[in-house]
Amino acid sequence: MEELIYKLKEQIIDALNLEEITPEDIDDNAPLFGDGLGLDSIDALELIVILDKHYGIKIANPADGKAIFSSVAAIADYVSKNRSK
Amino acid sequence: MIEVLGRNIFSPLGADLEQNYRAVRAGKSALRLRGDDSGWRGIPDRAVASLMEDGFVLEGFSRFESMVISSVSDALSSSGVDPESPKCIFILSTTKADVEGLEQGDSQYLSPAAAARKVARHFGMVNEPVVVSNACISGVAAQILAARLIETGKYDTAIVCGADAISPFVVAGFSSFKALSPQPCRPFDIERMGLNLGEAAATIILGRSCTAVRDSRSERGMTADEKDRWYLLSGALTNDAYHLSAPSPSGEGCFRAIVSALSGFPAEKLAAIGVHGTATMFNDQMESKAIERAGLSEVPLSALKGYYGHTLGAAGVLETVLLMRCLEDGVIPANRGFEEIGVGGKVNIVPEELHTDRKAFLKMISGFGGCNGALLYSREPADYELIAQADAHSAEGVNGSGTNSWTIGHKVRITPVGFELDGISQSFDTPGKPALTALYKQHIGDYPKFYKMDGLCRLAFVASELLLQDFRTAETGKAERAEASELTSTDVLIFNRNSSIAADREHIATISDPGNYYPSPSVFLYTLPNILTGEIAIRNGFTGETSLFIAEDGGVCDEILEASMASTDASRILAGWIDYRDDDSFGVDLKLYIRNQIA
Repeated sequence: MEELIYKLKEQIIDALNLEEITPEDIDDNAPLFGDGLGLDSIDALELIVILDKHYGIKIANPADGKAIFSSVAAIADYVSKNRSK
Repeated sequence: MIEVLGRNIFSPLGADLEQNYRAVRAGKSALRLRGDDSGWRGIPDRAVASLMEDGFVLEGFSRFESMVISSVSDALSSSGVDPESPKCIFILSTTKADVEGLEQGDSQYLSPAAAARKVARHFGMVNEPVVVSNACISGVAAQILAARLIETGKYDTAIVCGADAISPFVVAGFSSFKALSPQPCRPFDIERMGLNLGEAAATIILGRSCTAVRDSRSERGMTADEKDRWYLLSGALTNDAYHLSAPSPSGEGCFRAIVSALSGFPAEKLAAIGVHGTATMFNDQMESKAIERAGLSEVPLSALKGYYGHTLGAAGVLETVLLMRCLEDGVIPANRGFEEIGVGGKVNIVPEELHTDRKAFLKMISGFGGCNGALLYSREPADYELIAQADAHSAEGVNGSGTNSWTIGHKVRITPVGFELDGISQSFDTPGKPALTALYKQHIGDYPKFYKMDGLCRLAFVASELLLQDFRTAETGKAERAEASELTSTDVLIFNRNSSIAADREHIATISDPGNYYPSPSVFLYTLPNILTGEIAIRNGFTGETSLFIAEDGGVCDEILEASMASTDASRILAGWIDYRDDDSFGVDLKLYIRNQIA
C-alpha cells in the first residue's frame, strides 16, 4: 500500500502540474481539496483521468469523486479494491 | 440606433429561419445518440448531439466554412445589404472554427482568422474580418462588438455569423468535463444531467438605422417590413473573476450583465428572457439566481437547447434570432425537455408554448473563462428612449469625473528572447517557454496556478503581471488589489492570430489513438483561447469585460480598441496582442490604458 500511495502522489503531482511540491510534502491523510493541497473541480476531473489511465477505473459521475478523492490514502484504498490494471 | 437587417439559422432543423421556426413550433429536434458500440468518428465516446446530415458541404470549403457561407448567404439575400461595401464588416463568432481540419492533419487546417478571411473574400467583402472567440458567449459578444463598431461611424453594417462544427475534438473535451448528458438535455429541469452538443451556423446582420441604409434598400426595391424590424437597444459583458470553468454560485457576473444591459428598462415590458440554459447543474442554477436577483422572476424564460443542443459559437446568435422570430408571432416557444423546476432561484418557466403581446426581450449567456453577456432587443423604436435616458444618467453619475481620452500607463513586450517593460529591455538567459517560468520565478512567484497554465496563458499571465505589478506598487500597492472600487474598473481586450493552436495540438494528441484515449479536462480548457482573459480576471479580481479577438491583421484590432474605449464604463483597459504559436515562437505587445480624469 505504501508503494501505491507514493506512486499515486507522483502521478498526481505530474498530472496536476504541482511544480513546487514533492511526494514527501503530501500527507497521506490530509484533505486534497479546500485547505490541504487546494485542488479544485478541474483537478478532481483530472484525478478521474488518472484512475482511468493508470488503473483502468472508470468513474462516470464526478459527484462520486468527492469521497474517493478525500485524501491520497483514500484514493489508494479505492484503487487497490477496484483496479483492473 | 442599431437595427436588424437580416437573419438566418442554418442547422439540422433547416436551412433558413422559417424552416427552423416551423420545426421548433412543431417540437422537432435533431438531438440523437450518435455512433455505435465502437464509438463515434474514431473516438470511444458516444454522445447525444444535433448534427448536420451529409450533403451540405460546398466545393472547396470545409464543413465549418460551408455552414458559415450558407448562413451568411441566406441572411444577405433579403437584407438589402451590400457585402462589398467599404462600410460593411464581417464578424465571425466561433469557439473552434475549422479545428476538425487540424484533427485530420495540418494541410487541412485553416486558423479561425484565415477561415473568416476566406469566407469574407467569397462574398467580395473588402474589409478585414474579425473573429470573436469568447467561449460560449461569443455570439452575444459579437453582436455587441458589431453595435460598437457601427457606432464609431466607420461601418454602416456588420454581418455577424456564429458557427461551430461538432467534431471528436469538442465531444472528447466536454466528455472529459463530464458535462454531456446521456439523454436529450433538459434545461432547468430537476432531472437534468448535462448538456448536448449541436452544430449550426446563425447570422444576424446589424446596421445603423439611418437614411443611408434605408435609401439603399429602397433603391433595391425593398421595403422594410415593420413587423420584422428589431432594434438592439443595449448590451453588456462582464466577468465573474471566480473560476475558469464553474460559474459564480450567486450568479454575480451574470446578474451584473443583465442589470447593465437593462439599464433600468422595466421588467413589465419584457416578453421573455432567452436564457443560456445549458442543462448543466451549475449553469441553470446560477442563471436562476441571477434572474431572481435582477427582479425578473415573473418574466417567462425561453430555453432552446432542448431543440438544438449547445451550438457553442452559434448559440448567442441562433437563440437571439429564433426568439425574435417567435415573438413576431406573439409566441414564446415551448421549453423542450423541461418538465419540473430544478433550480433554486425563483423563475417563470413552463413546458408549453406561451402567448405574449410584449415587444422586447433579454438574451443572456455565460461561458468558460467566467464571462457573461446580455443583450436587450425591442421592436418598439420608442423603447430606445428608456435606455438612452438611462445611459445619459449614468454618464453624469458613474463616469461623471471621467473623460473619453486615455493615457498609456505601462507597456510590455515579450519575445522568445527577451522582454521590454516601459522601454527598458532585458534578454532572457534561456529563450523560449522556459523563459516564462524564469520570469514568473523572478517577478511573481506567489501563484502556483501558473504551473497549471498552458503556454499561451503563461505568456499572458506573466505579461499582465509585469504591467500590473508595476502599476500596483506605483499607485495602489499590492495589498489593495482586491479593493472594491477597483474591481469593476478594468476591461481586458486581447487580440491574437493563432488562437490556441498549441493547446489544440496537445488536446488532439490525447484523443487521436483510440488505444490511448485519455482526454484531459485541463488541456481541453486551454483550447478555448479566451481562458487567458479569465486567468487575468481571476488573479486581479477584474469583473469588467474580458474578450478575445482573432484577426490576421492588426488594423481591425485598433478599431475594436477605439470602439471599446468609446463605449466602456471602465477606468482602465488592459489591451494588446498576445500570440503563442509554439514553445519557441510567441510574442506580446500589451498596454495598460488609464482613462484621463477631469482635473
